[in-house]
Amino acid sequence: MTVALTIDNISAQYGQTKVLENLSLDIAPGELVSLLGASGCGKTTTLRLIAGFLQPTAGRILLGGADLTRLPAHARNIGLVFQNYALFPHLSVADNVGFGLKQRGITPDLRKKRVAAMLERVGLEAFGERLPAALSGGQKQRVALARALVIEPPLLMFDEPLSNLDAKLRVDMRVEIRQLQRANGTTSVYVTHDQEEAFSISDRVAIMHQGRIMQLDTPETLYRRPANAFVARFVGFENLIPMQVRSRAGSSVVAEGPGGVQLTLSQDSYGKIPDSFVLACRAEGLSVSTDTNIEGIPATLGLRTYLGRAYQYQAQTPAGPLIAHGALSSPIEPGTAARLVPEPEQCTILAPE
Amino acid sequence: MKRFAGWLLSAPAILVVVLCLVVPVTLTIVATLGGPTGVFAPYLSFFASGFRRTVLWRTLQVSLLTTAIALVIGFLTAYVISRAPGWLKSILIIAAVFPLLTGVVVRSFAWLIILGKNGILNSALLSIGVISQPLTMLYTQGAVITAMVYLFVPLMILTLSGVLESIPDDLLQASASLGAKPSATFLQVILPLSVPGLIVGAVLVFTGSFTAYATPQLIGGESQMVMGTLMYQQAMVTFDWVSASTIATIMVVITITVVLLMTRVARRLNPLAV
Amino acid sequence: MTRSVHPALIVLAGLVFIFLVGPLIIVVGAALSNTTYLTFPPQGLSLRWFSKIFEIEAFRRTMVTSLQLALLSTALALLVGIPAAYALNRFRIQLPGWLSTLFVLPVLVPELVLGFSLLRSIAVDLDAPIFLSLVIGHTLLVLPYVVRVISASLASFDFSIEEAAISLGSPPLKSFFTIVLPNVRSGVIAAFILCFITSINDVSISIFLTGPGISTLPIQILAHVEQFFDPTIASVSVLLMALTVGVMAIVERTLGLTFLTK
Repeated sequence: MTVALTIDNISAQYGQTKVLENLSLDIAPGELVSLLGASGCGKTTTLRLIAGFLQPTAGRILLGGADLTRLPAHARNIGLVFQNYALFPHLSVADNVGFGLKQRGITPDLRKKRVAAMLERVGLEAFGERLPAALSGGQKQRVALARALVIEPPLLMFDEPLSNLDAKLRVDMRVEIRQLQRANGTTSVYVTHDQEEAFSISDRVAIMHQGRIMQLDTPETLYRRPANAFVARFVGFENLIPMQVRSRAGSSVVAEGPGGVQLTLSQDSYGKIPDSFVLACRAEGLSVSTDTNIEGIPATLGLRTYLGRAYQYQAQTPAGPLIAHGALSSPIEPGTAARLVPEPEQCTILAPE
Repeated sequence: MKRFAGWLLSAPAILVVVLCLVVPVTLTIVATLGGPTGVFAPYLSFFASGFRRTVLWRTLQVSLLTTAIALVIGFLTAYVISRAPGWLKSILIIAAVFPLLTGVVVRSFAWLIILGKNGILNSALLSIGVISQPLTMLYTQGAVITAMVYLFVPLMILTLSGVLESIPDDLLQASASLGAKPSATFLQVILPLSVPGLIVGAVLVFTGSFTAYATPQLIGGESQMVMGTLMYQQAMVTFDWVSASTIATIMVVITITVVLLMTRVARRLNPLAV
Repeated sequence: MTRSVHPALIVLAGLVFIFLVGPLIIVVGAALSNTTYLTFPPQGLSLRWFSKIFEIEAFRRTMVTSLQLALLSTALALLVGIPAAYALNRFRIQLPGWLSTLFVLPVLVPELVLGFSLLRSIAVDLDAPIFLSLVIGHTLLVLPYVVRVISASLASFDFSIEEAAISLGSPPLKSFFTIVLPNVRSGVIAAFILCFITSINDVSISIFLTGPGISTLPIQILAHVEQFFDPTIASVSVLLMALTVGVMAIVERTLGLTFLTK
């Protein structure tokens, strides 16, 4: 049974502080959507509202068309995986996993079978009798996952589930989570502050900031075509240059930026360019050339740092300080005059702020 | 060098405890052994006396009942406090702490006013016509237990509030998210996780009420003599110091056994400590 | 978090708080009575029983004794207890485990037994003066609070700060007073208050050690209650409660009350 989750215009506040205002979000059946943002952006609040640990001041939450908004947390039937695992320390692994089944009045015999099957799925069949304290972090996380999955909830939610694990385990676990979620086709909400994690695991990602969703899209679109400056900076477009179109010729556009910087951009690579726009480039999207006769942003190079795949330069330009990359074959000394040339593959066009 | 510094700094405190506590108490215990009629003669005569057996039995009864009642009342109250919103929580904690910081004498005295022959309870019952003669409430076991529960419930509330606060919120949320009703969360998560705290609280109340003096003296009097009041009587009224020492030793043995045994059990049962 | 609690539990908790606070309110009411016997509610209000306390010489004298005793034994306990707590935390690995148990012994041994043993050994066998015996008894009584509360504060103290001070040229003793002590200030205040209140309310140890001419206030109250049943005692009780309220106000001002639940 896969169902859709609809968050319809919810607002929430802690005391007098408004944390969410008129937030709406639609998640399709079987889809995994991440809520991504820095702490305080409202992602955890959203999760707590859906789980029923917090009451919205306005708005509705619908799961498979049924209104959950006024339902107490224990009646919502949502599987939740916590950041600190939240395993019951006094219960064995098997009893932890069976806890939800027990609440649902499942007979001990059947409970035992389903717990055993679930433990096998997460590779912990030999650990049923242990107490959580005797498990490693990764094993605890598997138990938490098994405990949430075994009740076969129509909605699964993850609250930064991997943030307490070391880097290697984090990568393994997220693949495992994704595989289990795919196999069950369970609609899922995944809260994280880790961009790589969100992008690798999700069908779509909602980037949140100050209680609002800045953009909800597939990881590919977010990464290549951010919709606004906030998302652009968030996904790594370090250089934002406001520009005005001066002339158009076919698909070619000549635009002028601060300090009279002139660039010729092709609408074949950038898509339609409005008269006023922001050119957003990653550091690797501005390549350094010491040939000062070519078209580009005039720059004086500053500090050079070695990144392994390229050199990175801090550059002073009429458009302000920018960050650019240069080839490993020819390191350039600080103080050299250069041109920074935008590479369309690593740059994008944003609407002005 | 470091070892030396550690000993030097703790030496005054060690001296105070050893010279003024360990030695005198040991001497008290030694005084009960090796009498002219055999090593354990004072104990044999203690247990041979029907009156003293009754006193010991009454003391156990009173302190166990006090512990049980304080445990139930204290736990439920602490639970309600733990669920209360922040501002109310502090008010409730203050209300619980205040009696604790008020002396035993004052708090026992309050029950003299309430339970006395011309006390408030009797006047109230007389005036609404439930009774026609004032009831004798003081100097009964019920009165002693009531006053002792009054004495120790705040301690229990404080101990258990600390324990309940230490249960992480997300365990309760996990329980709810798995479909447990509040009552099921209470019974299957909060209660088992509180067991070590309940044991600690029970030990505090039991040892406190087993060795109490002022409350049984004021509220129970001669007719409800307990180990504490009996010991005082033996030491200061009849000046039978061997007998008083015997009672003292029995009190020490029972309280220390209970403390050591139960704290060990509590430690073993504490899943949050691991 | 939905903090749903069954209404019956809330009612029960309400009753418990009436049970806790009610008797103390009754004592206050009785203290304000203008009758010569104890009643509640008071027939008429007066403060005459409060002035009566100060007319009775025994109350005046024991009140002074109790205050002296509480201050002196608290000071002594802090004096020996703070270095011990410091040593227990700073030199944990170098010291044996039983040492911390030794310092809680005064809590493990019933107060009555301690009082009686001090009477036998110190007051009678060594013929120590009554006040000295009381000071010894009360110092022992409050010492565990000092060690425990100061240890708790030191447990969260980062001793590398002290080492930093020493490496910067501050001598160890000076570093202790300028670096360590200010950081456990709240622990010292908390310990002081707990000790003071414990000492001033003590019955079980004092009952054996008080003697002709020297008594403490709680013991005097006990003796008075057994002879007279008048509102004087209620007034003394109210004075003691006022002292507690004062102390709690100081606690609230300096530390907040939450430290009591830790």
